[in-house]
Amino acid sequence: MSLLLDIFGFLSVVLRGLILTTQSFTLGGIGFLALLAVPFSSQLGADGQHIIRQSLVFLRYATFALILATLSALAINTAVLIGTLELSFVDAMSAGFARTNIIIILLSCLILLLSRYPLSKGRSVVLAALGISFLLAQISATHAVGRLGTRWHLLTADFLHMLGAAIWIGGLPYFLIALNRIKDGVLWRLVGKRYSLMSMTSVGLIVTGGTVMAFSYIGSVDAAYGTAYGIMTMTKVLLLFILLFLGGMNFLTVEGLRKDPSTSILRMRRFAEVEIGIGLTVLFAAASLTSLPPGEDLTQDRVSLYEIADRMTPQWPPRLVSPGHDALAIPMLEARIAEAKTENIAAPLAFVPGEGLAPPRNASDIAWSEYNHHWAGIFVLLIGFLALIEHARWGRWARHWPVVFLGMAGFLFFRSDPEVWPLGDIGFFESLRDPEVVQHRFFVILITLFGVFEWRVRTGKIAQPKAALVFPLITALGGMFMLTHSHAIANLKDQLLIEMSHVPLALSGIIAGWARWLEIRLDGRASRIASWVWPIGFILVGLILLIYREA
Amino acid sequence: MKENIQKFVLSFLISLLMSSVLTGGAEAHALIKSSEPVINGVVHDSKIAVFLHFNSRIDQSRSKLVLYKPDSTNITLPIQPENRPEIISSFAKDLTAGNYRLRWQVLSVDGHITRGDIPFSVKP
Repeated sequence: MSLLLDIFGFLSVVLRGLILTTQSFTLGGIGFLALLAVPFSSQLGADGQHIIRQSLVFLRYATFALILATLSALAINTAVLIGTLELSFVDAMSAGFARTNIIIILLSCLILLLSRYPLSKGRSVVLAALGISFLLAQISATHAVGRLGTRWHLLTADFLHMLGAAIWIGGLPYFLIALNRIKDGVLWRLVGKRYSLMSMTSVGLIVTGGTVMAFSYIGSVDAAYGTAYGIMTMTKVLLLFILLFLGGMNFLTVEGLRKDPSTSILRMRRFAEVEIGIGLTVLFAAASLTSLPPGEDLTQDRVSLYEIADRMTPQWPPRLVSPGHDALAIPMLEARIAEAKTENIAAPLAFVPGEGLAPPRNASDIAWSEYNHHWAGIFVLLIGFLALIEHARWGRWARHWPVVFLGMAGFLFFRSDPEVWPLGDIGFFESLRDPEVVQHRFFVILITLFGVFEWRVRTGKIAQPKAALVFPLITALGGMFMLTHSHAIANLKDQLLIEMSHVPLALSGIIAGWARWLEIRLDGRASRIASWVWPIGFILVGLILLIYREA
Repeated sequence: MKENIQKFVLSFLISLLMSSVLTGGAEAHALIKSSEPVINGVVHDSKIAVFLHFNSRIDQSRSKLVLYKPDSTNITLPIQPENRPEIISSFAKDLTAGNYRLRWQVLSVDGHITRGDIPFSVKP
């Protein structure tokens, strides 16, 4: 139970992200079928029937995943309630959130059942009604329901916001199914125009709902930049602008089809893929928002503009010399315990790794962490520059840049856990009892494997074209989960200031990852532009790491 | 296709682990706006009223208050019925001089579980 409690917060955010994602794909599928595929099925002919069948298959996968994610969230929350409150199973299951989740699971089962049969107009209406009922149930698990005072405007805003996200972002995989199936420019335009209309309406719903929630939950400019909730909201807005840019470019392609039905839609398909990726990032950012108290409620310890400017002022030169291991808080504490034992006096409390408490930190710990970040920055900068050099005719040798990942893995192996082997007193096998150390060790192995894998791709030893997509996917997903990670519930200033430097890191990673994706998936000028964008993204990540400060 | 899905799942898991490395402790969003006793406060009576005012609606029947005493023992405090959904109240008696810690855990009506501590001391 203690381990579950330790990871409960993060697990809840990840599960919430998965629920929002699968919910969007489920509702997006219903919206796509009811508003596009079924009404146009006769005009699309045999392709129309194929699109409906394929869409129903994807809808079934999405709904099944939604049921699994909701069941997992229900099981974990119930287990924590039973474990910490000593409630009976029936008591725990009669809590409001449990009842909501049961209703959501039942509605999802009905959607799953209905999507197994051929879709008529009548059935698509029933599906749409189930989708709306589902969304009405889902808003019972949002901030809005817990607010004091009048709630109807917040519940309505949440409903519109989630509906818009589902139809636009959740509808994208279905849109791609249609684009990939159809081979005729006139029909591409028919589908593209309707989907553009659905997307634009959705953007209206997202912005309307989002504005109402921003005013109610953030409430002031101070809270917008001074609280974790405000920062995450602004990050979502930035991502929305990127999505709007991609959506706008796709709209231009649809308009181009009107003038010339033979216009290539390759860019539209690839941009739609990236929209799905960035859309998922927005949904995970939204999931992390649900774990945060609204900025309006946090009136104490907000970060001021002065503090942000002070923290973001680059520290030059970077910290390339490490403090001594003995000067760190835990080794010092261990030395004091040993001293206390020899003098037979009461020892101060020591930090137990893995128990979920914040470890003690001193100035040397901060210097240790900054040193780690600054050297990691040099590694990432090197990757970015080598990837740029690879563009030059004389720079073919630079294609070996994935080797730098191996250096980075070695660096992390030595530096990530100073209290354990090889630098600390805790032995290798003993250290594996701490889940965080295990994660770090596993991470080192993965970076090594990832480096070797991408190296083999760059040198042509793995010939499969799809293998090259692993690198951008991992980079973009890494950025996405970086946005989702821990937040300071009580507005702890230091944590919040550290988070602020993680947001541009995450955004640069996301942009770099998807730019590399576009370089591989597109051709011609667009691919060339993307091939310059992603190394610049890496260079930005490297520079941000290089000026990273914790004090 | 199957291979692609496997790759996607692998990438997803790797990213999940990457982020786990950077992850801190648990969090949720019910916050205390005010309390009696106050954090790090001093009370001068052997019997006190406990009153926690939250920023959101709380499921009172699925919340818990535990008082940790100076001698490291603890007791669960009975939660009193309250009309206001954002309030948790109780009482503690037979307090002797020393340092106490009131641990609260609440379930907000949107399903978030939050816990926290209120340290205080008694000086009769």
